[in-house]
Amino acid sequence: MMNIKNLHAKIGDKEILKGLDLELQKGKIHVIMGTNGAGKSTLSKAIVGHYDVEVTEGEITYKDKNVVEMKPEERALNGIFLSFQNPIEIAGVNNAYFLRSALNAKEKHAGVKETNAADFLKLMRKHIEQLGMKPDMISRALNDGFSGGEKKRNEILQMEILQPDVIILDEVDSGLDIDALKSVSEGINRMKNGERTFLVITHYSRILDYLNPDYVHILQDGKIVKTGGPELVKILEAEGYQAIEKDL
Amino acid sequence: MQAVTLSLADTKHRLYESLSALGLPGNKTEQYKNFAIKPILAKEYELLSPQISKPAHGSKIVIENGVVTRCPKDVKISFIQDFEADEQHYDALYFMSHILAPFVIEVELSGDATFEIRHKFTLKETLLAYRVCVKTVPNSKVEIFETFKTKKSANGLLLYGIDARVARDSTLRFIRDQNAKSKNATVIGTHRFNVEKQGAVELKTFDFGSGQALHLYKIDLANYAWADAQHLLLATEEARRGNVVLIKHNEPYAKSVQEARTILKDKATGIFDGKIFVGKEAQYANASQNSKAILLGESAHMYAKPQLEIHTDELEASHGSTIGQLEEDALFYLRSRGIGLEDAKKTLVLAFANTLIDTLGDGEIFDKIHSDFDKTYYA
Repeated sequence: MMNIKNLHAKIGDKEILKGLDLELQKGKIHVIMGTNGAGKSTLSKAIVGHYDVEVTEGEITYKDKNVVEMKPEERALNGIFLSFQNPIEIAGVNNAYFLRSALNAKEKHAGVKETNAADFLKLMRKHIEQLGMKPDMISRALNDGFSGGEKKRNEILQMEILQPDVIILDEVDSGLDIDALKSVSEGINRMKNGERTFLVITHYSRILDYLNPDYVHILQDGKIVKTGGPELVKILEAEGYQAIEKDL
Repeated sequence: MQAVTLSLADTKHRLYESLSALGLPGNKTEQYKNFAIKPILAKEYELLSPQISKPAHGSKIVIENGVVTRCPKDVKISFIQDFEADEQHYDALYFMSHILAPFVIEVELSGDATFEIRHKFTLKETLLAYRVCVKTVPNSKVEIFETFKTKKSANGLLLYGIDARVARDSTLRFIRDQNAKSKNATVIGTHRFNVEKQGAVELKTFDFGSGQALHLYKIDLANYAWADAQHLLLATEEARRGNVVLIKHNEPYAKSVQEARTILKDKATGIFDGKIFVGKEAQYANASQNSKAILLGESAHMYAKPQLEIHTDELEASHGSTIGQLEEDALFYLRSRGIGLEDAKKTLVLAFANTLIDTLGDGEIFDKIHSDFDKTYYA
């Protein structure tokens, strides 16, 4: 689905990713765990083309193209989606207007008929209800004044409406209460269809109880140092990252 | 400018003295120094004198080349030759327009009213000066929508202005939509709003385009009077446009809020020179002022000068100013959802502008301002 080879990336003058290799398989849930500063968020930003991150070597192959050479909007139009760790607030941009613009851009790119305003509102209302969001999320400005939980649910709302193929969830579970974690997880599970690939970046195992991941990767000092199944999470929970270091 | 011999009536002698004391504005005059006034005043113009007329009935007040040609049935127009202008105004062109205008067009109101004033100026290389006076009556609500048509007025100069008296317990909502191109006349508006006890003025100006225009206001606030001034400016090409505003708190408990938002493309220059003056008699004033500008063109220039001049200890006041480019994080967020760079920029610019446009509420004026903004942005 997506193949990351020998990826080197820096932020400013500091090299963060140091030859990272990772193959994301179609229809699977991959989890990345690692200590603070290991490079997890830098990896997610490198995949979506964030301006902070400069890829200096290596490639990210997706649909036979090197994603590194694509603009951020081209990556999105080709089905790559990042749920941001800290979604930005944009006053004055209506949430529904923004999301319909994004959906219409994707539809235009795919050469299909663009969803009209009435149909879009029906679609948005349905997803808002499923996610347990307040109805006024339609008319409010994008993330403006949203609580942490509301912002994360809004990211999932965008994901469900845009229907991407490769979904990166950067600490989607941080700052969520039990109910919000459950509804966010349910939203993610609704997106599973055996075709989509998920890359879940997290520090905690509790969201993984809902998602049932296929692979767990440990990222340390800019590289994937260990890959295993869900059992790795249990080892980490019991013994911390030192247990992994001993094995290396 | 051609030499003009004026026969001044007594009421105008004092204005002439005020003009003489200030002198004609030049490039060193504070409120004009970023407007390039000198070449405008140095041009040769045909001087056009407004004429008294009997306007036909229409849906709006139309002032065509200084002549009132149309007027709604329920609005009465009269022509005042000995108008008492504000001798304390800070601007020389305020006095000059009063001196050059043979009369003041007075819009007489007897209660609530909503109407449009359309200024049509269609003569090239011509200097036209006229003044409009609006007086509300106590306990009334008045909304005026001011628009401009300045086609075929290349190298012209329109010196006009509004003298408004907002009577006790009345509200004046004054909305200006000015959309001018570089080939149109320069417009200099010099205004005075005198807000009496517990009166309120809501001033919303929407100023778009590539032409040259400057509006200079003096707003006087009495006891418990209120002024809410909002200015949205979108300037393109080599435009020099802006607002100079003096809000004077003259008596206690007055409140003023001022917000200026400016978007500058290409090589445009934006001007916001705002001063809130709180006199020593104006205790318990509440005053805030904010100016924000976005520079979209590499050669765009913003001149922002927010000022507070305070002569009392008992008040709440704040002011601020920011000048910058579009937030990179916000642009990236939109692009990460598939919205192209140019559309993302436009979305953010519109969001910035919408903060003021949305205050108009739904309706024809809202639609027109939105449409004018889009036309200028995409021109």
